[in-house]
Amino acid sequence: MAKYLLKRSAQILVTLFVFLTLVFFIVNAQPGDVSNFYALNPDVPPETRERLQDLFGVNEPLWKQYLVHIRNTFTGNFGVSFSHYPRSVADVIMERLPRTVVLFMTATALSFYLGFALGKVLAWRRGGWFEYTSTVGGVTLYTVFTPWFGLMMIWLFAFKAGWLPIGKFLDPVLWREAPIDANTVFNQMILTAFVVSIVVFAVFVITGQRRMGNARITRIASIVLASLAVVGVWFSSGTAVYAWDIVRHMVLPVVTLTLISFAGTMLLTRNSMLETMREDFVMAARAKGLTERAVRDKHVARNALLPVVTSFIFSLAFAVDGGVITESIFSWPGMGQTLVSATLTEDLPLAVGAFVFVGIFVLVAHLVADILYAYLDPRIRY
Amino acid sequence: MTSDPVLVVEDLTMHYATRAGPVRAVDGVSFSVERGQSLGLVGESGCGKSSIAMTLLKLLPDNARLVSGSITLNGVDVVPLSENQMREHRWDRISMVFQAAMNSLDPVYRVGDQIIEALEAHSASAPRDAMERVRELFDLVSLDPSYIRRYPHEYSGGMRQRAIIAMALACEPDIIVADEPTTALDVIVQDHILREMQAIQRALNMSMIYISHDMAVIAEVCDVVGVMYAGKLVEFGPTAEVYARPIHPYTKALMSAFPSVRGEKHDLATLPGEPPDLLDPPSGCAFHPRCAYATDECRTSIPPTAKHGDQWATCWNPVADVDSE
Repeated sequence: MAKYLLKRSAQILVTLFVFLTLVFFIVNAQPGDVSNFYALNPDVPPETRERLQDLFGVNEPLWKQYLVHIRNTFTGNFGVSFSHYPRSVADVIMERLPRTVVLFMTATALSFYLGFALGKVLAWRRGGWFEYTSTVGGVTLYTVFTPWFGLMMIWLFAFKAGWLPIGKFLDPVLWREAPIDANTVFNQMILTAFVVSIVVFAVFVITGQRRMGNARITRIASIVLASLAVVGVWFSSGTAVYAWDIVRHMVLPVVTLTLISFAGTMLLTRNSMLETMREDFVMAARAKGLTERAVRDKHVARNALLPVVTSFIFSLAFAVDGGVITESIFSWPGMGQTLVSATLTEDLPLAVGAFVFVGIFVLVAHLVADILYAYLDPRIRY
Repeated sequence: MTSDPVLVVEDLTMHYATRAGPVRAVDGVSFSVERGQSLGLVGESGCGKSSIAMTLLKLLPDNARLVSGSITLNGVDVVPLSENQMREHRWDRISMVFQAAMNSLDPVYRVGDQIIEALEAHSASAPRDAMERVRELFDLVSLDPSYIRRYPHEYSGGMRQRAIIAMALACEPDIIVADEPTTALDVIVQDHILREMQAIQRALNMSMIYISHDMAVIAEVCDVVGVMYAGKLVEFGPTAEVYARPIHPYTKALMSAFPSVRGEKHDLATLPGEPPDLLDPPSGCAFHPRCAYATDECRTSIPPTAKHGDQWATCWNPVADVDSE
């Protein structure tokens, strides 16, 4: 395993190098530089623009810029953002990345959970209205034009019903007087979610291993207690109202993203289940006198899980670039929007930096998928 | 011998509904198995052997219809039982050794855990007792206890078959149905496993049903044998007598198609033709198109089952001369 990890890490470094090279040259292939942005501004004379070009080093020969880019990336220095000057690229990305990751990971996780649960039932009870409605409904949502569907959701739930905010990350009016800034609150929220999921996961693992008869009760109790603890801590700190504001802003994009993507997982799970159901060990499990539910969940679904997990990991990886369209529709200030505005303003360091982060995330996700595979399927050993 | 039947099957008929009409996979089969007895079911591929096995556990695909008959397991007719009631009988009273031993173990769980799973489905025993039981079972089938915590892919073919047998024995069932238990194994391993199964069966006074197309395997391990053709039981009787003096022409054809090591040498006779299409079985006796002794009577009317000494056969023109009753 250690040897395999070492080998894979070396491969990842090579791939990353190729990726960095490609990204740099493709991004630099677009005409102009950051000074163009001021070309029509009478307050910025040509001399000033030239100084600007010298300052940002965009007049250097391309190969020199490339070497600097490679050196800087491997030393963790992504440079200064032209459009957010004088903030560093890393600083901008560190602000935007968590927003995108939280939004899209939540949506992806929900979509896979829903898709897997529905796919399981679909494979088990073929024929009938349930299969018909969920397949037709799911595929319709899956193939629908995303911007239109996003706008319809906003129109229905935010504009007509008024239940949810129309867009953006938070409500500026509420935050004007806030004693604490949004990033701090958001980071605390991430930390809370992380701690809670670790605790709940630990409870699930422990009850699973000890084969406790009342595992279900213990599990539900752990979830309820953890949720109560979270509510208690947030309310006592007095920042709950701000956290709630962010959560409310997340609901519409998460629901929209979940609805347009769950059908893929649902159909994948269904097909994977149908294939597994033909295996002899499924018949053997039935012959052992297990309940239909145990046969379905412990044997068929467990074996059908593998391709679904692969698909899940890759979806997570691509969630980082934040669906430019979705973020634009919901005015969500994440990586997608950052990427678009960086490209439009010729902010090459920020554009390259954003791409590099996405690339690293995808490569790491592949490695995680491989490791997870070995854990899920005992036949796979490296 | 006092009669203590563990399993009595009467007039069992099971059809598969297909678009082209019902396939008569099991057609009016009756037999019984005494406690401690082993019954062999032989026949060509597609004669309904495996369908009988699946019917006995009521593990039938959606398109299968149990048309008529009864399956009396330890005095209880399981045919009218609901799926939930049937589940309690499965493995606890009647268990199975599957045809494809290679694939009958779930690849993602340890073998020991899969046996414990069967134990837990039928009794609320403590995990430690269950583990103890698994150790006993591994010992019984001569598997190294260190393999309890291993995964199926780490087992060899013979070991997997032993694990499957251990699993079938887990709940001390009254009867085990072994569907081609050794077909996928090489001859040496096959022989070992058959002998061990026989020894265990005798030691525990269990009943067995062996299903095989291999007359030699049946001859080695079975007390009684049933010969199947086109979903029907055409001959039934003590193994020694059926083998020595087959009554049904089909049994005779099967006998002359497999070589005897000790007997005199003769060219092996092959049986011409194909097993009949169960969608549209021939009129009268289903065997008549391939039968050397067929008469007009065979072509038009279904022969009755008649007793010939200790044997029963369903034939108009028995090939052996045993006093009919």
